Amino acid sequence: MAALGIFDTANLNGGQRLAVKYFTVSLILFGAQILFGMLAGLQYLKPDFLYEVVDFSVNRTLHVNAMVVWLLYGFIGGVYWLLEDEAQHPVVGLWLGNLIFFILTLAVAVVVLVYLIIQVGPGEIESIWFINEGREYIEAPRWADIGIVVSVLVFFFNVAATFAKGRYTGVAGVLVADLLALFGLYLAGMFFTPNVSVDQFWWWWVIHLWVEATWEVLVGCIMAYMLIVTLGVRRKIVETWLYIEVALMFGSGILGLGHHYFWIGTPDYWLAIGGFFSALEPIPLVAMVVHAVFDSGVHKLRNSNHPALAWTIGQAAGNFFGAGVWGFMHTLPQINLYTHGTQWTPSHGHLAFFGAYSTAVIGFFYLAVQKSRGNVWMSGNIVGGWKWKWAMFWLWTGMIGMTVALLIAGYEQSQIERAMEGSTWMGYFAAQAHPWFTQAMNWRQISGWGFTLGYCLLVWDLLTIGKRETRPALAPQGEPATA
Amino acid sequence: MIEPVHLADFFTVFFSAAMVILFGALYALLFAFSRVGQRPGLMPLAYLSYLGLAAAALILARAANLHGPFWTPVVGLMLAGYLAAPHFIFRLCVDTHLVEDADESSLFPTRQGG
Amino acid sequence: MQTTPLWWASDSFWRKMAIWITGGSFIVLIFLTFDTLSYITAGGKQVPGYAVINQRIDYRFDAGKNRYMPVIGPEEPLFGKVLGEAEAEALVAKGKLTTQAKNCMECHTLLGNGAYYAPDLTKAWLDPAWGSKEVREQTMVDFLMNPSDKLHNVVGRRMPRLGITEEEARATVAFLKWMSAIDTNGFPHNFKAMDQSDPVQAPPAAAEPVQPAPPADAVPAPAQQ
Repeated sequence: MAALGIFDTANLNGGQRLAVKYFTVSLILFGAQILFGMLAGLQYLKPDFLYEVVDFSVNRTLHVNAMVVWLLYGFIGGVYWLLEDEAQHPVVGLWLGNLIFFILTLAVAVVVLVYLIIQVGPGEIESIWFINEGREYIEAPRWADIGIVVSVLVFFFNVAATFAKGRYTGVAGVLVADLLALFGLYLAGMFFTPNVSVDQFWWWWVIHLWVEATWEVLVGCIMAYMLIVTLGVRRKIVETWLYIEVALMFGSGILGLGHHYFWIGTPDYWLAIGGFFSALEPIPLVAMVVHAVFDSGVHKLRNSNHPALAWTIGQAAGNFFGAGVWGFMHTLPQINLYTHGTQWTPSHGHLAFFGAYSTAVIGFFYLAVQKSRGNVWMSGNIVGGWKWKWAMFWLWTGMIGMTVALLIAGYEQSQIERAMEGSTWMGYFAAQAHPWFTQAMNWRQISGWGFTLGYCLLVWDLLTIGKRETRPALAPQGEPATA
Repeated sequence: MIEPVHLADFFTVFFSAAMVILFGALYALLFAFSRVGQRPGLMPLAYLSYLGLAAAALILARAANLHGPFWTPVVGLMLAGYLAAPHFIFRLCVDTHLVEDADESSLFPTRQGG
Repeated sequence: MQTTPLWWASDSFWRKMAIWITGGSFIVLIFLTFDTLSYITAGGKQVPGYAVINQRIDYRFDAGKNRYMPVIGPEEPLFGKVLGEAEAEALVAKGKLTTQAKNCMECHTLLGNGAYYAPDLTKAWLDPAWGSKEVREQTMVDFLMNPSDKLHNVVGRRMPRLGITEEEARATVAFLKWMSAIDTNGFPHNFKAMDQSDPVQAPPAAAEPVQPAPPADAVPAPAQQ
């Protein structure tokens, strides 16, 4: 065991050393997401900026793809982080996991370079195989799709085999089943069809069922582990609640797919299904609120890692506002007819993705940093503790600013472009030229700078937190994670 | 199937939908605090929040044209579901934590009736 | 004090619930998927066969259904050439492939999905900004092949040159025409389609104040509000 406060991989088990690699790339790609988001945002203000050099479509592609990949890297890292602890067994195919990490990262780098340099191809099937699939969020060319499928399979094998050889807990059971779904669903997006309705029908299977079902459960599993480790909640209770969460999440989420099938050529019974599940959507959130209050009453929030806990609380709030409030405002078909495809969607998307996922992954980063520095003190009065607080402040202030600005733009757009002008080319630009819209875009960009500042502080903090600490971490009460 | 929202009702729809969720959370929060801290004084406020939720839901139903054989029952289900959810979830919290309370000298009485 | 939880609060009960609810929802989804696919395969109840590009396509309010609906009109072949179903499918497929290879969806929206930097393409074929139905096809092809020197709007946003060939441009127009015939449950609502009626039936002009010009010189006035 190395000295307290010094970063040393000797503090970590094999799976955790691999996790640190994933977390590192994840953090870098988070930066890339912000960079390309800022460039795309700037093009709203200055349309000639990088015109025909790095166009909006390129920046936007990199912005959303970087997001998918950094969150996925964060989740994979999170799973490798808990794997050996949870299974009580070393990762079975660690060398394979390492190999796949390097191959996947290399593939990501190549895909990014192709997006940036080659950008578009001729209207031939080869373009889809080697340049860009041209479908939002899953633009990765087909060769990279196959690479992703192979990587997820290896990851699945590592997780399942490690649990099979070691301890097969309830968390393990949910995790393994969820990874299988994660793998299977991706396949639904890997084909070409001239029929845009069929295309978008399956495209939503991947996007919605990944993001609103399997990702939620993946985060639930990692959070369950965090609750056991940082708060010392009893395993049996955590696992029961993980099952309850899966039941509520999949019960509302799987058919909640319906709210994407309002306007793509699908039959109108989806308006009823989507509307029904939208109306019931708040119930899992209510469950979360009640349970959180109950737990805080029981555990009094005595914990060993304040930044991780703060981000976890932020996760609950962000998920509630992003998915709950922002989702419900525009999801009923009666109003979605006007809000669909306007800035309402990015307003909801920004807050929901950040609230539900980015916050969780940042929480894992703090857990990893703590253990990497020899399980150092991270409760009250951390040395240099202002950094994590200000990073959190600026990331949240920036995000809320962007969300509100986009909300105002979307509100104006739904009225002027959609309801009054009837969605024509002229109607679209009439709405884009409106002062409510143009000013909102300015505020979005200013908030983006705040968010960027928060990111810089976050990186600085993650590199330095705990460096000069000499106190060991506060031991959580209750049952230790490692029996 | 649906009667689109009228332009004049856009703001009402957005605002009342947001209020449904916010009052729903407030109701759940006050309800849970009242039970956990055994502060019965908070309970009337919790139900007041529920009344706010119900009002917002009815305004939303009116503005978003949620009427007819399908949408009216959906609104009814929303009202009943949101009312019952905190009760049900709290009971579930208490009962799932019985194991823990057994060796943590019970922070508060485990059964207080629904 | 109890050491085993009540049955309804036990982990085994909720494990079973999680499995049954997930499995049940998924089975319902699979059933609905099969049913939906019968509506959305080309030639199904809501998505037309590809040969529909040989006909006039309009988009009007349907009082009975209380929403806008595509209306398939008399024969009006694209680029003056009637195509068989297989030829039409090949052309639309080429157009769809072009929209993917050029990553249209990361500026535009298609059926309302995509990015929001440029107009929605769902009913682009019917947009009055293309001028009249006589010049529409050629205007669209010219625009797609060389958009950057054409003035688009007052906000200064321009579509970049994406190296679209004439063949790809014509195929893209076919794809857009076919897409405009999809019954999207009334999205976009209140869309004011281009007047496509034949000249003999057309009412005398000048009753309406100024029809918008083709995008080559279309400059929408900034909103008045």
